[in-house]
Amino acid sequence: MSKPRVWWTRAAVAATVLLATWVAWKLIDITGFDVLAALFQLAVALLSVFLVVLVVRYVLLLWLGYLHHIEGHGGVDSSIAPHVTVIVPVYNEEAVIVPALRALLELRYPWFDILVIDDGSRDGTFAKASALAGRYGNTTLRVVSKRNGGKASALNTGIALAGSPFVLCMDGDSRLSPDTLRFSMRHFANPRVAAVAGNVKVVNRNNLWTRLQALEYIEGLNMPRRAQGFVRAVNIVPGPIGVFRRDVLLRVGGYDTDTYAEDADLTLKILTDGWQIVYEDRAIAWTEAPEALLDIIKQRYRWTRGILQALGKRRDWLTTRQGGIAVWISLLSLFFEAIVWPVVNVLGNVLFATAALAGVVPAGVFYWWALLTLLDVAAALHSVVMEEESLALVPYAVIYRFFFIATIDVAKLLATVEQMFRVPMTWGKLERAGRL
Amino acid sequence: MKLDSLLSTVILVSFLVTIIMAIGSYAAYKLREGRRPRADEVVAGGDSAFFERIVASGPTDAVGRSDQPRG
Repeated sequence: MSKPRVWWTRAAVAATVLLATWVAWKLIDITGFDVLAALFQLAVALLSVFLVVLVVRYVLLLWLGYLHHIEGHGGVDSSIAPHVTVIVPVYNEEAVIVPALRALLELRYPWFDILVIDDGSRDGTFAKASALAGRYGNTTLRVVSKRNGGKASALNTGIALAGSPFVLCMDGDSRLSPDTLRFSMRHFANPRVAAVAGNVKVVNRNNLWTRLQALEYIEGLNMPRRAQGFVRAVNIVPGPIGVFRRDVLLRVGGYDTDTYAEDADLTLKILTDGWQIVYEDRAIAWTEAPEALLDIIKQRYRWTRGILQALGKRRDWLTTRQGGIAVWISLLSLFFEAIVWPVVNVLGNVLFATAALAGVVPAGVFYWWALLTLLDVAAALHSVVMEEESLALVPYAVIYRFFFIATIDVAKLLATVEQMFRVPMTWGKLERAGRL
Repeated sequence: MKLDSLLSTVILVSFLVTIIMAIGSYAAYKLREGRRPRADEVVAGGDSAFFERIVASGPTDAVGRSDQPRG
C-alpha cells in the first residue's frame, strides 16, 4: 500500500471512531443511560469470565497431569544406558559446588562423565571443583575454566567438549537424585524425543518464603509441566535439570546468549525444530530457592523478561501456527502462564476489589477469595500427593494465592511492562546460602 | 455486621495492603539493583577472573589443567 493511501486510511478510521464516540455520547445523554452502573456490570461480567478461565485452567491441568501420571510410570529398562555427560556450569558457587559434585558422583547409572565448566568465577569455585577432578570407576570428572560469558556460553562450551551422544545440563547449585539418569534415559528409546525435562524441587524449606516456593514449584511449575508432558510438548526444560540428545543441540545451535531465559529459549528451538520433549517427575533436581522477598522478585523478574525475549524471537510461530498443534499450544501456554495469567490475575483482583469498594458486590469478596483458595488447596493436595511430597505443604495454599502469588504477579506484570519498553537489565546472580 | 461482610472487609483490606507492599517491594528491588555495580563494568575495568586464574603455558592449558584423571 502506498504511503498517502495508508495515511488516508488511518485518517478515515480516526474520523469514524470520533463520530461513533459522539453518537454514543448523544445517545447516553438522550436516554439518561447510567454509565457507572454499566461499567460495574461490565466489571462483573469480566470477573465471571476470569472465574471460568480460572476453573477451566485448573481442571485441564489436573486432568492432563493425571493422565501423564498414570501413563508415565513405567519401569526402567536397564538395556537403555547410553553414555551421558553431565555438564555443570558454575559461576561463584563455592558455597555449594563440593556437595553438588559429590552427589553427582553417587548417581546410579553405569556410564556417565561429569564436566564442570567454570565460567570465570571470582571466588574459590575453580579450586574447590578441581580438587575433586579425577576418575571414579567408569566416571571421569573434569573441570574446565573459561572467561566469563554467562551460563549459556558455559553450557555451549560443555556441549562442545562432551564426547557422548547425550548430555545432562544442570545448575552448579543443584543436586540430582541418584536415579535421575536411569529414569530419564528410558524416554530416548523413542527416536522423536529430543529432551527430557526433570522435576525441580526446593531444598531449603527453612522459612515462609522458601516453603511457599516449594509449594509453588510443585503446584505452579510442575503441574503445568506434567500436563504438557502428556502431549510431549514441555515448553521449558528447566535449567536445573534437562537431558538432551547432543546431536539435536548441535543441530539447533546450542544455547543462544541473547535472552535471560536460555532454558526456555533452547526448549522453544527444539520444539519448533519438530522434536518432542517429555517430563520425568522421578528425575529430581533439588535447588536452593531465594530466601528473601527481594531475591525472589529478582529471579522472577529475570524469568519473565527472559521468557518474553524467547517468545519474541518466535512471534511468527505464535501468530501463523507453524508446525504441529501441540507445539502451537505449548507456545501459547507458555505465553499464557508466564505473561497473560499473572496480568489477568492482578487485574482481576484489582477489578474485584474496586467493585467491592464501590458497593457492587461487597460481601462477594469473601466468596471470591474462598473459591480461589479452595481451588488452590485442591490443586495443592492433588499435586503434593502425586509427587509424594510432604502434606505439611498443603496448608500454605491458603496464603499462597492471596499474598504470595499476588506479590509475584505484580513483579511479573511490572517486568512485562519494562520488557515492552526495553528497559536495560543485567543477569542478576542470586546469592546462595550454601544449604545443599 | 454479617460475618461474610466482616470477612470480606478483612480480605479486601489485606489484599489492597498486599498489592501496595508488592509494588513497594518491586520498587525496593529496583533501587537495590540500581545501586549495585554492573558485572560487565567490573570486567571492563580490567579485573578479569580468567586471567587471574589461568597461568597458561600452552594453548590448551585452560582445558587441560584439570582434565587429567588423578586416579
